[in-house]
Amino acid sequence: MDSAIAQLILEDHKIAYIITDPHFRTIEVGGNANTLQTFQACEGRSLFTCFPELVGSEDLLQSILAGELPRFQLTSVNREASEGQTVYLTMTTLPCRDLAGQIKGVVQAVVDVTDVVALEQQVTQRRNELRLLQGKLARQNQDLAAANAELKRLDEIKSMFVSIAAHELRTPLTPIYGYVEMLLQEDMGSLTNKQRESLEMVSKNVSRLVTITDHLLDVSRIEAGRIELVLRPTDLWGLVNKVAAEFQPQLDTQSQKLSLSAAPLLPLALCDEARAAQIVGNLVSNASKYSPPESEITLRVAPAQEEGFLQVSVIDRGGGISAQDQEGLFSQFFRTASARLSGVRGAGLGLYITRSLVELHGGCIWLDSEPGQGSSFHVTFPIAGEPVTPGHG
Amino acid sequence: MTGLQRKVCLLGDFAVGKTSLMRRFVYDLFNEKYITTIGVKVSLKSVAVPRDGEAVELTLMLWDLSGSEEFDQVRASYLRGAAGAILVCDLTRPDTLADLPQYANQLLSLNPEARLVVAANKLDLSDQHQLSSTQVAEAAGKLNAPFYLTSAKVGTEVETLFRHLGHLLVA
Repeated sequence: MDSAIAQLILEDHKIAYIITDPHFRTIEVGGNANTLQTFQACEGRSLFTCFPELVGSEDLLQSILAGELPRFQLTSVNREASEGQTVYLTMTTLPCRDLAGQIKGVVQAVVDVTDVVALEQQVTQRRNELRLLQGKLARQNQDLAAANAELKRLDEIKSMFVSIAAHELRTPLTPIYGYVEMLLQEDMGSLTNKQRESLEMVSKNVSRLVTITDHLLDVSRIEAGRIELVLRPTDLWGLVNKVAAEFQPQLDTQSQKLSLSAAPLLPLALCDEARAAQIVGNLVSNASKYSPPESEITLRVAPAQEEGFLQVSVIDRGGGISAQDQEGLFSQFFRTASARLSGVRGAGLGLYITRSLVELHGGCIWLDSEPGQGSSFHVTFPIAGEPVTPGHG
Repeated sequence: MTGLQRKVCLLGDFAVGKTSLMRRFVYDLFNEKYITTIGVKVSLKSVAVPRDGEAVELTLMLWDLSGSEEFDQVRASYLRGAAGAILVCDLTRPDTLADLPQYANQLLSLNPEARLVVAANKLDLSDQHQLSSTQVAEAAGKLNAPFYLTSAKVGTEVETLFRHLGHLLVA
């Protein structure tokens, strides 16, 4: 081959070369000028001095000299260019033969493969960074899982404490309430007006304690998944009327009017009668507590928009609830800003329990409300799938 | 003073700090940014080590080898003739310590007389450590190698680490 063409190919492929004698001493250097710069002043020096990367492979190079090995190659050898950036080289050692075909030394071919390896470097870099991130994420997940398990354990302890405390508080309340009622009925002798007033105060606060402890017990049952519903086809309209009757004394103290209405031909609902009464009762109680005296509260039963459900709505003309308060309304121990300011007492558990009970029935609960516009609470119960009964209007 | 030259490989998983340890030892430099090594980079550094009452100038040919899995298949061709190795793990990644025996076995299968030293790196990241010195000592003991808790970032024990290996190589 014409030497000019050979030089052209060496230049184009960024190939430099070194030819050595049988003692690996450099006797000729040539090829691509830039590639040559990666190993300096090699002429007359040992190949192993120019290329320390070949140290350790002396026996293989001897094998090439002996004609026992056709070639030896090292890939991705890093060198620093004069500007400081990394240059990647492929180094190939080949036998150098004379015209008679006798091996007289070796040819060390050095190819600058930076363009290709730099891309490989970037890909590997990203892959390794991803692996490091994966490792970090895995460790963080482990830490989170451990923290979560600890939180769960603490939550269980808290629930157990609430359950035990509520139960222990609730037990003595029953005889206290009974004796107070007996005293008020003057079963143990007549009372002075002052004594009656005091006992009525005791009775009212015992009732409040009973409600709170009942709520706490319900919460602990809900959290432990220990509430079991006895689902039966139930006349929801009849149930609503019973609840309304129970709450009439409370409504009377506020001179509030309760209006009842129902759509015609209501089917039976599939619900636990006691728990459904608790749901409706809680909504009516809230409507009464947060509505002004002499206002009207509406209690309505109708087929829900969602097929297969009945809807009970409790509509009041109270102060309404802001959008911000609505977000947390069904959470434990949540009380709206207006409720806290109104002086109405409560632990913030009633709506949490109500929502849990509704969801246990497979229904849902929501509200429509705006400050100053009153509130409408809606709950749904599944239809029992039995023949319709005549509705009441 | 007589002169000796020994080939030393830095081995360990990717991103444990092999290049950083070498740069700290050879150039007293540190770069915070992680740059994956592809292939091999050879650097030289001479140290004076005592032997039989006289100082020996030992030139360490430090082979910084890629720790990426993609390099596993060709790593053996770079280990030939190694007199010793620094086995590097990362104190924040327990799996990097667990992998050290593989590197040691590969090196010793080619160079049975090679001397080993373990470097548990990134001592400066104390809040992220997942390995204790006891665990490192136990693993190094199984490899019959001394160990150092190092920080290429601040330079802790880096010089000592390489000098200790130098002593072992001229002993």
